[in-house]
Amino acid sequence: MSGARIEFDDVSVAFGERRALHGVSVALDQRRIGIIGSNGSGKSTFARMLNGLVAPSSGQVRVLGLDPAHQAKQLRRRVGFVFSNPDAQIIMPTVAEDVAFSLRGRELSLAEKRDRTAAALERFGLTEHADAPAHSLSGGQKQLLALCAVLFGDPDLVVADEPTALLDLANTRRIRRHLLDELSQQLVVATHDMRIAAQCDIVLRFENGGLHDQGEPAAVIHRYERDHA
Amino acid sequence: MITLYRPGTSILHRAPAGVKILVLAILALAISLLVRDLSSLALAAAVTVGAYLLAGLGVTGLAAQVVAIRWIIVTMLGTQLVFLSARLAALNTGRVVIVIVLVSLLSLTTLTADLLDATDRACQPLRRIGVDPAQVALLLAMTVTTIPVIAGFASTIRDAQRARGVPLRLQFLVVPLLIMSLRHADDLADAVAARASE
Ligand SMILES: Nc1ncnc2c1ncn2[C@@H]1O[C@H](COP(=O)(O)OP(=O)(O)OP(=O)(O)O)[C@@H](O)[C@H]1O
Ligand SMILES: [Mg+2]
Repeated sequence: MSGARIEFDDVSVAFGERRALHGVSVALDQRRIGIIGSNGSGKSTFARMLNGLVAPSSGQVRVLGLDPAHQAKQLRRRVGFVFSNPDAQIIMPTVAEDVAFSLRGRELSLAEKRDRTAAALERFGLTEHADAPAHSLSGGQKQLLALCAVLFGDPDLVVADEPTALLDLANTRRIRRHLLDELSQQLVVATHDMRIAAQCDIVLRFENGGLHDQGEPAAVIHRYERDHA
Repeated sequence: MITLYRPGTSILHRAPAGVKILVLAILALAISLLVRDLSSLALAAAVTVGAYLLAGLGVTGLAAQVVAIRWIIVTMLGTQLVFLSARLAALNTGRVVIVIVLVSLLSLTTLTADLLDATDRACQPLRRIGVDPAQVALLLAMTVTTIPVIAGFASTIRDAQRARGVPLRLQFLVVPLLIMSLRHADDLADAVAARASE
């Protein structure tokens, strides 16, 4: 293997009879990686392999030098994952507690945890909701909270699976700004929003479980739209 | 939506979280084991009303909690009426409602952080038999987080059905509620795996 940050070597995934991915080989070092493709093409499966939520049926995966199948715990400490359904990612009852959850197990004083949490909430415009029940937020605010909580753990790699699927224009723009403009870490984002894909450094396109196309975003997106015209 | 902490200065707000959990556990146990007829159910209900008054939440505060779980009540009552007598169905449902409402009272008057600390400390002795107190505290926190979500599912389903003119029938509520809850449990398990990496 080449030693890239994300490496797939002839990876296939089957759920029972159904093949979700087959024969995927790719090495990725780009900072912002967009994943596009039709419904059911394997985007989520690919994304979920990056932190070991899905294991390969055959082939080899390495992420940040780790094997997700056997080193999932170490890997998840370094990979932040944003799901598309904001309801299901909230673990703790209130907004501030949910963000602070990302510091669980770190050797920090209570005061320091509180200060850092407050600063993070401020950055995402959630300060006034700090002590509100997390589920009383709107969908867009919940997704901001989810992103805030994930970034708060200071991951080396951020994986987002359709992070704007349920959002309105304003919140889509905010998430896009946080993910694409302000993020300094490596990002993998699966999306149906071509504006997000266009802003990436490389785009991969999946079709029918195979890696169908990859390369410069504008070109890959153009071919995708042409095929579905 | 079952609301969480309501700031206040009542004796219930000021009491240590550990004491409250202990009293609640004893009450819940007593209600489950001892309430066998309608008069003892009435007594338990009276104790609950008293506790809400003591917390300064009033009868309206209590009513809000009951309204929030109305679909759970309907579902429980309906399922049991199929198999049991009306009296028994009312008794069983009454017991569960009272326990849920009392648990809500705990989260209404206690900061979750205090709750978790208390659980953590209370569970320390269990370490010896291999129980991780932090895991128990996490489970408790997630339960507190999940109650309003499930209650929200039930309202969403009922609203959608009402919009389409579907009459209130138990099987129309139970099946989608179960499916949504199971899917939520699945998604939540993924999120916990992704976020709780120790
Ligand atoms: N847990 C699972 N069990 C069975 N089949 C699955 C599972 N997860 C995914 N699949 C199947 O694998 C294929 C790829 O699914 P995947 O979720 O990766 O697609 P996707 O590109 O993310 O689609 P979408 O755009 O709809 O989110 C689909 O045929 C899907 O039905
Ligand atoms: Mg998907």
